[in-house]
Amino acid sequence: MTENSSSPANALITARGLGKHYGTFQALSGIDLDILKSEVTCLIGPSGSGKSTLLRCLNFLEAYDEGEVRIDGQLVGWQDGKASPRKPVSATKLREQRRQVGMVFQQFNLWPHMTAAQNVAEALVQVKGLSKAEARDKAILALARVNLRDKADNHPSALSGGQQQRVAIARAIAMEPRVVLFDEPTSALDPELVGEVLNVMRDLAADGMTMVVVTHEMGFAAHVANRVAFLDHGKLVACVPPDEIFRQDPADPRIRSFLQTYRERNVV
Amino acid sequence: MELDLFIRYGPALLSGFGITVLCWIVGSLGGMGLGFLIACLYQWSGSWGRACLQAYIEAVRGTPFMIQLFILYYGGPSFGLLLSPVQAGIFGFIIYGSPYFAEIFRAGFQAVPTGQFEAARCCGMTEWTIVRRIVLPQMLVSITAPLTNFMIILTKETAILSVVTVPELLFETQTMAAETFTYIEPFLALSLFYWAMVEFTSWLGRRVERHVTRHQNRQTP
Ligand SMILES: Nc1ncnc2c1ncn2[C@@H]1O[C@H](COP(=O)(O)OP(=O)(O)O)[C@@H](O)[C@H]1O
Ligand SMILES: [Mg+2]
Repeated sequence: MTENSSSPANALITARGLGKHYGTFQALSGIDLDILKSEVTCLIGPSGSGKSTLLRCLNFLEAYDEGEVRIDGQLVGWQDGKASPRKPVSATKLREQRRQVGMVFQQFNLWPHMTAAQNVAEALVQVKGLSKAEARDKAILALARVNLRDKADNHPSALSGGQQQRVAIARAIAMEPRVVLFDEPTSALDPELVGEVLNVMRDLAADGMTMVVVTHEMGFAAHVANRVAFLDHGKLVACVPPDEIFRQDPADPRIRSFLQTYRERNVV
Repeated sequence: MELDLFIRYGPALLSGFGITVLCWIVGSLGGMGLGFLIACLYQWSGSWGRACLQAYIEAVRGTPFMIQLFILYYGGPSFGLLLSPVQAGIFGFIIYGSPYFAEIFRAGFQAVPTGQFEAARCCGMTEWTIVRRIVLPQMLVSITAPLTNFMIILTKETAILSVVTVPELLFETQTMAAETFTYIEPFLALSLFYWAMVEFTSWLGRRVERHVTRHQNRQTP
């Protein structure tokens, strides 16, 4: 693990020897990954290869059982030290760590009893302690960033899927996280609504937001990502600039056969 | 009809009604609180904790209310638990109702998708904030009807308190009937009292339901 242990100075998240299993099933193993500041890292790979699991280990929504995840050098979820078995950090500490990481889900996961603005403002009031008025102002600004200022007072049920996902993105960025994780943000959307969400994500990337994006949108990965990580059977096969993945003859046969299915559909 | 009978026994009947209402309200609110606590503990317990809570629910649900009252009131002193009849009545009500309330709340928790909990945790909310701000407001919509229903059932369960000599409505009515050898009038009065409680509860339930579903017209199912 010697050459892996050092990480680039501009790494925000570093995973080393990360592993996770469900019962006897090893969902992830030996993942070494650096997420660099202000970069977009796309995670691609076949269904069931562990992309969601990896993403969810980064903010400890899943408790990883091997290796480590560090954000700015601080171990996430587990108490740092030599104790074995490891003990989880306190609930307060975990909340503090999670606040640095925003998350956007495939199913949006908006709170249906609140309007768009309330969805965004809720954590600003409850977690950051802002006044209701301040929180609403911030929420409106965040909604403006995703081009939804005029939908602030709609409930999620009165919004299209693409609009709901943009509200979810506004909710995540309003907390001013250091990194935002996206788990297949466009997979639940009708094809004509995918573009508006990807555009918003592209704008965020251009503003220098650090992003980790699990996606099947190969066009987005090819054109927006700084680096693309390919997962297969719980292992990280490659984490390289997109042209090394999307060129005509990728080095690894697993990547080649994965991309073949997309080429057949003329997506890439 | 002997009006003077009601003048003579009216105060006793009214005091019986008062005690019935007291036991019912305090007992069922307490039971609701305990049930909510059990449902919350269940939600955040591991498998062992859940097994214990489940055992409590099965045990309490599996015994008749009357037996629970006997154990509390007559058996209590041998554990150093000396309760007045009214105290035993209220305490008994809290215990008797708690598993049913717990099950109603538990179903309410389950109606909120996991993803909503995760989204809230990712924003750094405490579990209590999640319950208060995310779960309860949504759960109220689906639990108001079963809660109202169970409160109505409980109005009539108060009659059982007479077996441990709680001077509640049935107890006073029986006294009146036994002393005056009239049956129709006292029990007619008794039914009116219960009917009033039931009507009040279902009226309240409808009000609450209308309040918590006020946004529903904007929501497509
Ligand atoms: N909670 C779980 N319990 C058991 N197995 C799981 C669980 N979550 C995921 N898995 C398994 O782990 C593997 C990786 O899942 P996932 O990370 O969701 O894949 P992906 O997001 O790449 O499609 C899959 O084989 C899946 O069946
Ligand atoms: Mg997935």
